[in-house]
Amino acid sequence: MFHTTFYLRRLHSLCGLLVLGIVLFEHIFTNSMAIFGPAALNGALEMMELIPKPIFLGLEVCGIAIPLLFHGIYGIYIALQANNNPQRFKYIRNWNFTLQRWTAWFLVVFLVWHVGYLRLYVKGVTGTPISFELLQNFFQNPVVVFLYVIGMWAAIFHFCNGITTFCMTWGITKGPRSQNVIGIISMGLCAALCLVTLVFMASYFMY
Amino acid sequence: MAEKKVRFIIERQDGPNEKPYNQEFDVDYRPGLNVVAALMEIQKNPVTVDGKKVAPVTWECNCLEKVCGACMMVINGVARQACCALVDEIQQPIHLQPARTFPVIRDLLIDRSVMFESLKKIMGWIELDGSWEVKDAPIQNPYTAQTAYEISHCMTCGCCPQSDFIGPAPTVQAYLFNLHPLGKFDAPKRLNALMEKGGITSCGNSQNCVEVCPKSIKLTTYLAQLNRDVNKQALRNIFNK
Repeated sequence: MFHTTFYLRRLHSLCGLLVLGIVLFEHIFTNSMAIFGPAALNGALEMMELIPKPIFLGLEVCGIAIPLLFHGIYGIYIALQANNNPQRFKYIRNWNFTLQRWTAWFLVVFLVWHVGYLRLYVKGVTGTPISFELLQNFFQNPVVVFLYVIGMWAAIFHFCNGITTFCMTWGITKGPRSQNVIGIISMGLCAALCLVTLVFMASYFMY
Repeated sequence: MAEKKVRFIIERQDGPNEKPYNQEFDVDYRPGLNVVAALMEIQKNPVTVDGKKVAPVTWECNCLEKVCGACMMVINGVARQACCALVDEIQQPIHLQPARTFPVIRDLLIDRSVMFESLKKIMGWIELDGSWEVKDAPIQNPYTAQTAYEISHCMTCGCCPQSDFIGPAPTVQAYLFNLHPLGKFDAPKRLNALMEKGGITSCGNSQNCVEVCPKSIKLTTYLAQLNRDVNKQALRNIFNK
């Protein structure tokens, strides 16, 4: 008997934390370069252009597109089964459970827009390279800035709470103490990364 | 002197497929009154606050000392045992609802057979008979006996939310039987059962189960242990062939 659901769920967990986690960190790392000014960010973006096109495209498809589609589509299936009840059970973990699903729904919409516009349309169709100036122009609209900050925060929370649940799902943290410690550490990381996001988003208005 | 009354708002339902409706009852207060005792008073005199005589409220109870699990219902929004819900300790008016995570038979009476089916799925028993001589019971491992004792307190009351997930209670029972000196022989079977759809992977880690467990069983700890065991079993399934 082959336990399809079991392997899909475990793959969903691995794919979210390891693969998409790296993608998220890459985004935060590259975008933080904006803090040091247009030259630093454009330099970082040009560095990535040094990777040969076929390898870069291969990485994008295998390292981002496929894991993201799998995690997103199977995630929608999981989120549809959830019974969110934080009003009734006001425990922190239950709130995190609900937020994990709410951020997921927001991210589905946000990522369709983000990937669809910046990667597929601007970079893919029009062939314009992503640069500090392009993003600065893009962020002239306050609604876009607001949605991007919320989108980043949602992704960061989803990832950080994912660390806590990953440790439970894989039986790494067993007892309540270790689960709490990991929970606190990952929420600390969440706060730090959210702050970094605010700083690099603000830098588009500094230069 | 006017007697002190306790107001109950009860969600009733005449049959499995009927529409639920609310009815209010007043019960004379007495010190130490609990929800089951109040329901018994309502059964004796099923008259609503409007003075209408109605069919007595149906519910289930048995031991009256938080051991059997039968009287689980949703009291003021939280699933718990009615027998140990003291009127003095909860907010009034007291709202009673059936636990709708299970099919409702009538009023507060629910059908918990899904939990029994789940216990069958995870092989919630010890195989004693076989082609061997039945001797005295083997000794329990003294280092895990306390854990086994704790999990054995589970009374399948159903407070821990059951959905299409097999549920924390039956899942954790698999760990109890895997700890047993004879039960551990069937551990791979139980772990494989937990890998099926609706098994342990459907746990969303919201940890409500451990918060509501009336027997204070450390459900999430044993669920994490079972996650560990199930993952190891999955690796064995893949690489031992």
